[in-house]
Amino acid sequence: MVLFGLDLDYAACVVLFCLGLYMLVAKSNLIKKVLGLNVMETAVFAFIVTAGMVEGGDPPILVAGTSPPYASPIPHAMVLTGIVVAVSVTAVALALIVQIHAHYGTIEVDELKELP
Amino acid sequence: MSAAWPTLLPWLVVLPLAGAALVPIVAVGQPRRAGRFTLFVVLLTVVVAAGLVWHLSLTGPFSVSLGGWAAPYGIELRFDRFAAWTLPLAGLFAFVVPFAWRYLDGTLPPERWAVFYALLLLNLGGLLGFSVTADLFNLFVAMEVVSLSSYALVAVAGRGVAAWAALKYLLLGAVSSLLVLFAVGLLFTLTGSLNLLDVTIRLAAGGPSPAANLALASLTVAFMVKAALFPLHVWLPDAHAIAPSPVSAVLSGLVVKVGIVGLLRVLELAVGSGAPLEVFNQVLMLLGAIAIVMGAFLAIFQNDIKLMLAYSTISNIGYIVLGLGLASPFALIGGSVHVFNHALIKVTLFLAAGAIIHQTGFRTLSDLRGVARVMPQTSAAMAIGAVSIVGLPPTAGFVCKWYIALGAFEAGQGGYGFALVFGALFIFVYYVRMLNAFYFQQPVRPEVAAAREPPWSMRGPVLVLAALCLIMGILGGIPLTFVEPAVSDLLLSMGR
Repeated sequence: MVLFGLDLDYAACVVLFCLGLYMLVAKSNLIKKVLGLNVMETAVFAFIVTAGMVEGGDPPILVAGTSPPYASPIPHAMVLTGIVVAVSVTAVALALIVQIHAHYGTIEVDELKELP
Repeated sequence: MSAAWPTLLPWLVVLPLAGAALVPIVAVGQPRRAGRFTLFVVLLTVVVAAGLVWHLSLTGPFSVSLGGWAAPYGIELRFDRFAAWTLPLAGLFAFVVPFAWRYLDGTLPPERWAVFYALLLLNLGGLLGFSVTADLFNLFVAMEVVSLSSYALVAVAGRGVAAWAALKYLLLGAVSSLLVLFAVGLLFTLTGSLNLLDVTIRLAAGGPSPAANLALASLTVAFMVKAALFPLHVWLPDAHAIAPSPVSAVLSGLVVKVGIVGLLRVLELAVGSGAPLEVFNQVLMLLGAIAIVMGAFLAIFQNDIKLMLAYSTISNIGYIVLGLGLASPFALIGGSVHVFNHALIKVTLFLAAGAIIHQTGFRTLSDLRGVARVMPQTSAAMAIGAVSIVGLPPTAGFVCKWYIALGAFEAGQGGYGFALVFGALFIFVYYVRMLNAFYFQQPVRPEVAAAREPPWSMRGPVLVLAALCLIMGILGGIPLTFVEPAVSDLLLSMGR
């Protein structure tokens, strides 16, 4: 959908990306930082999936009742792989945060910086 | 016989990845086996890499399509001349792994050795995959394999401090990876292809567009973070200094080069697309020069030897990036060869430093005074590494820095030539500081005075690597024979 010369789908992805980046940079809580990272990831995935959409396209599966044009399947495959990678990154990040909490007793960046 | 080598190209990546999955099984009940098995897998990989490089030198670049689909639709692995770098890459792992055997004794409980070696092999597989893939999306996946295993390796042995350093590394690394994924998605939307060559051709046919420039800019920034180019280096010093020494060697010598190989790929993409290459080069030159001076300057004030080496990496990445940015034949050759030579020297330095820290239990210059009296061989290796990284002839570091300096004047950017010499002076100062402490001061710590040389499984790799630093200075022409044709191809497509 185009509004004021802006492609709304893409504009929404950009807004979401910036929201995530803001969370990552501005929040002091490490878990919130990781959540910000997840929001940014979602924005990128949404962008790629949106880009693969074909107006009036059918699912690219050869069964009775489908006809060209087909939606591009490659972005979906990419995003699926991307989600797997994102989940792994989140898992490693959370595991590290657990260790940090066990050692320092805090997960606030401003408190971590004051420690020796 | 030679014709059979290209079919082995997928094995270059599959071997270490499969090895990583097998390590924990092999090591059940006998943790020592994990290290030996890992060395075996690495040596097999080195043999494959050597065969491929040999084939490359006979026939020139070649590629293999996976899954029975021809490029550009199938997934392609390409072994071009820059990919010759996979041989020293795998070769350096063959030194790091035996070094880790005894190093891990006091650092990690035996039940976690298998995890450590599996992560190391994953890292190797990712690095090799990144170097030989001709597919944008696989570039992203291989990069993530490298990054994730690196985050885990930083945190593997330490407690809270290491986890905090690893998390700082992860947060910046994840953002840069996202930028790569975004750029890959954008390039796919623009061109409908993921094959690097195909994307380059289609970008060139499409002419300059803001979207293509945005994609190339995100890729550039992302790889600058991976390469720890100043001012995006903030994650590097802590992560590299806190990691166990064999890991520091791999991270500092090899993993940061992911960013450099990535920047080379961006350069190849940008050349045809009508993107503002001048801006790209100006930014790289400026940041490279600042990185050389700042990295070296900050290194002078470090007391911890591993932190010092980490800052020295920032400075050396500056040299490589300056070489890429100058984009004159000599500078590009010098920069590309320095990718390999810096890897060799930095692995030598970090392993020697690791041996010293392992034997004495200290890591600061003030505690390590006089260590050369009790550990003459390791200290000599450290000294050779130091002389190489300063770039004095006849060591490995001299050739590249000389070429980059020549390139600066060739490109009419003499000012950057001076930045380079200025940086080398700073680097000289801090390595002299280290050698002075090691050789010409009395031990202050009784533990240092009572320390002995490390066992041979640690001493051997360090000494051979130090010898290689000298030999590569004399035989500096070998990497040049691979890099020169690649650089002239690149310059030809840039129209210079």
